[in-house]
Amino acid sequence: MNKPTYGVVLFHSTQAAIKAEKILKEAEIKIKLIPVPRHLSSDCGICLRFEVDDVLAVKSTLASKNVQTARIHQL
Amino acid sequence: MAKIVDARGLTCPQPVILTGKALKETDTVTVIVDDETPRDNVSRIATRKGYNVKVDEKDGEFYIHIQKAGVEPVGEAIASPAPSPESNLVVLISSDTIGRGSEELGGILMRAFMHTFTEVEPMPQSMIFINSGVKLVIEDSIVLEDLQALAGGGIQILVCGTCLDYFKLKDKVAVGEISNAYTILETLLQAGKVVRL
Repeated sequence: MNKPTYGVVLFHSTQAAIKAEKILKEAEIKIKLIPVPRHLSSDCGICLRFEVDDVLAVKSTLASKNVQTARIHQL
Repeated sequence: MAKIVDARGLTCPQPVILTGKALKETDTVTVIVDDETPRDNVSRIATRKGYNVKVDEKDGEFYIHIQKAGVEPVGEAIASPAPSPESNLVVLISSDTIGRGSEELGGILMRAFMHTFTEVEPMPQSMIFINSGVKLVIEDSIVLEDLQALAGGGIQILVCGTCLDYFKLKDKVAVGEISNAYTILETLLQAGKVVRL
């Protein structure tokens, strides 16, 4: 049975999250835009959830397009 | 015998979707999850649907025993927390975006809210989709998975037929029931509370 575990990547701005989503979709990395989980921040914000196996691809894809990320967490 | 749903490692809304599917096939289901969020979500939705729910914890994993009320317990006794029916809460969604000012931001807010609906209390009794809101319930909707989880959790999803027709989407509906002005208005007028997104 397929049991993905997830990570989330947080951004400093909504605009950065939107840009990152477009880039990661183009790179065909499976992501889902979700609110920042409550235990990570009480601020209103959105983040991108990805499958943990893709963490390196997420990091390198975003870095190659100069998208600044705030933090990456495993869920 | 109880059907086993192994939802370990899965995050919302997958465990809820799998539980909903299993309960359509049989009256007694045991769901295994390894986190508190799916434990709470699955338990809440089953309770709300009128099932008896009992949770055992073993080595950091949760075994959620779900049984149709009235069925004789298999083995150990099943605790039955009283379900708390929400007092006819109806959510009206009249656009595929939330708020005004930016379409792009409004779309993002809608996606974030639909995801979060599966994780917060109280659950509405019905969700009504009118005007461009109907774009959320079709095959290639970006929030389809979340809405399927909500429907699986017992939320009635009513979709405006006129609106589907207007946008030429009638044959693409993937969740909920196509409804009409009578049912939609009655649902709104009989609601204890209407929340409009």
